Amino acid sequence: MQKTQSFTSRYLDMQREKFRHGLLQAKKNKGCYLFLAPYAILFFTFFILPIATSIFYSFTYYNILEPARFIGLQNYVNLILQDEVFLTAIKNTFVIAVITGPVGYILSFLFAWFINELPKWLRAVAVVVFYAPSIAGAAFTVFSIIFRGDAYGWFNSILMEFGLIEAPRLWLTDPNYMMTILVIVILWMSMGTGFLSFVAGFQGIDKSMYEAGYVDGVRNRWQELYHITLPSMKPMLLFGAVMSITSAFNVSDVPRALCGYPSTDYAARTVVTHLFDYGFSRFEMGYASAIATILFVVMILCKKAISALLGRVGA
Amino acid sequence: MSEVNNVRSTGTLRLIDGKKFRGTLTADEQGAAFCQKGKQEPMVQWHYARLHRMDSIRRGGTSTQLTVILKDDSRYVFELDHGLKLYSFMDSHWADKPVTPKTRGDELRRLAELRGEKIQVPKKHLITRRHPNRSIAGDIGIYLMLFIVGFLMVFPLLFLVGSSLKPLDELFRFPPPVWPQHPTTDNFSDLFVTMGQSWVPFSRYLINTVLITAVGTFGHLVIASMAAFVLAKYDFPGGKLFFGVVTTCLMFSGYVTGIPNYLIMSRLGMIDTYWALILPAFAAPIGLFLMKQFMEGLPTALIEAATIDGAGRFRIFWSIVMPNVKPAWLTMIIFSVQSLWNTSAATVIYSEAKKTMVYALQQIQAGGIARTGQVAAANVIIVAVPILVFVFSQSRILETMASSGIKD
Repeated sequence: MQKTQSFTSRYLDMQREKFRHGLLQAKKNKGCYLFLAPYAILFFTFFILPIATSIFYSFTYYNILEPARFIGLQNYVNLILQDEVFLTAIKNTFVIAVITGPVGYILSFLFAWFINELPKWLRAVAVVVFYAPSIAGAAFTVFSIIFRGDAYGWFNSILMEFGLIEAPRLWLTDPNYMMTILVIVILWMSMGTGFLSFVAGFQGIDKSMYEAGYVDGVRNRWQELYHITLPSMKPMLLFGAVMSITSAFNVSDVPRALCGYPSTDYAARTVVTHLFDYGFSRFEMGYASAIATILFVVMILCKKAISALLGRVGA
Repeated sequence: MSEVNNVRSTGTLRLIDGKKFRGTLTADEQGAAFCQKGKQEPMVQWHYARLHRMDSIRRGGTSTQLTVILKDDSRYVFELDHGLKLYSFMDSHWADKPVTPKTRGDELRRLAELRGEKIQVPKKHLITRRHPNRSIAGDIGIYLMLFIVGFLMVFPLLFLVGSSLKPLDELFRFPPPVWPQHPTTDNFSDLFVTMGQSWVPFSRYLINTVLITAVGTFGHLVIASMAAFVLAKYDFPGGKLFFGVVTTCLMFSGYVTGIPNYLIMSRLGMIDTYWALILPAFAAPIGLFLMKQFMEGLPTALIEAATIDGAGRFRIFWSIVMPNVKPAWLTMIIFSVQSLWNTSAATVIYSEAKKTMVYALQQIQAGGIARTGQVAAANVIIVAVPILVFVFSQSRILETMASSGIKD
């Protein structure tokens, strides 16, 4: 008994000491908070507060005109049990995220790796070529010309030329094709900021590590990748993963621009377009907030899972 | 384990007041000396040195910068041409890694000699290639794949440019050509005619976009850099936690926070003003994140020395740190410009006269199939700006991205 007490009091002492030290440190660096303040205030207003508001309103019925009314978990219950479109949206987002997230991530990494072996000038060209689709913003709308439903659509005409199809297909309005096309377009745009981070990460690896690895008997490029490159790239890999999660779960521009909003039978609806529909078209803010909250939670869980996974790479 | 070597390198010595000298730097365990070119007597000598390494990717390849700070707080910055390899563990003493054998054959021979044997090393172990452990078939495969996938990546963009140059009859020809046979700029001039007919002149949209982009980017640069500076270089309670939150918020850009953001902005009375676009851009997490990570690469000694000299925190930030993180600036500017330039702001701006260029172009897009050519022309205009900016600033951006990793 005596021992436990002394342990507790020692622990409390330690905590108190820690707190006092922190306070001292804070006093010493008062100016730092001044530097941080402008950013912190804006960041709080436009990033933290929205998340908090969103969680709060998700438990209410709120249509902007009337004051919010607390309804408990009703929004979530409705979402999962009654809203069939939401289930389609979840399914679509999940399919897009599962396919384009990991595939886009791995492709970004592989191509950054391949590009790294190129001579310098060619590398610069290749980086622009692979990165261009994702900085080009609205360039993906060109796919509405390429996949146009009539015979003047490039893809239709190619297939008809080769006799693969008899009549033009409605690639962007037929629910059977929409998701495939979306996945292709999103993959096309997936070499984003993470890809750049990988390219830079490869160039930053100490060359003498490769020499040492060669001498130690690293036989081929795959061994080199696993034993030398991957472990030194871990921080970039995590950054790339965060970027992938962002783009995989936030898909909304592409389906809205290509497949229409709303799309035929809601076949191209994603969670974010669903959120927009309820938030900005029907002004059911409480319901929209519940959708947003679910998305936050899923994204944070994903990031946690990936960083746990990456902790094991090369170990 | 590492052997201590004497090291020599030619390079430039830059004093803190900006004077530059060319010459040779020699260093051993005890200290270092710098001889001006063509002179025998060393110009400066040190017996004690604290070193920091800054390896970075520059256009000319890897450049190595070395800062020496002496006991009396005089500072010297070296830019080394070649030869001298510096490692982060060289804080207390000068040391270079042991010389690595050139090929696996050399290594095998060395090991055999240690055992007192003499061996015949197979010839293939003595070949020095740039990538000794790469198979040629693999190289060819990779080049081929890069070429094919690269083509697939560019094809839609080429198609876009092609469409914008096609005359009307080629836009609706079967089969449609990828590249026009008779290129024309009609689509671009038609685009401006259409624009001229709308009741808000196109120049107004352009000015809106430029204004939002310029103000948003400038404020972001200053505010986020200040925050990044203290987060990177000072240890104060809450700093790490704050940065962790920012890192998590990297994921929540734009759409997901759209609804609650709208509610907050309407409370603040910012709906239908430029502030609704500009203020959130000030706080973009990606800028702070990249800047902070890049600033961590700056030698702390630089800041310590300036603090001892009595420089205030703001002076250190403005005249010592900021000039040294130019690549990160540029990256921040580009990311910010990219997102603001592409913003359509349909949800927070209602007045037609305040809308952005992308919004105006989207309206043309909504004009349907008859405007296919004009839409392509409009897209070429929107797309060209970020791509061109990236082409010209690629090396700086990559330099910044090299420190972008998230350390968990």
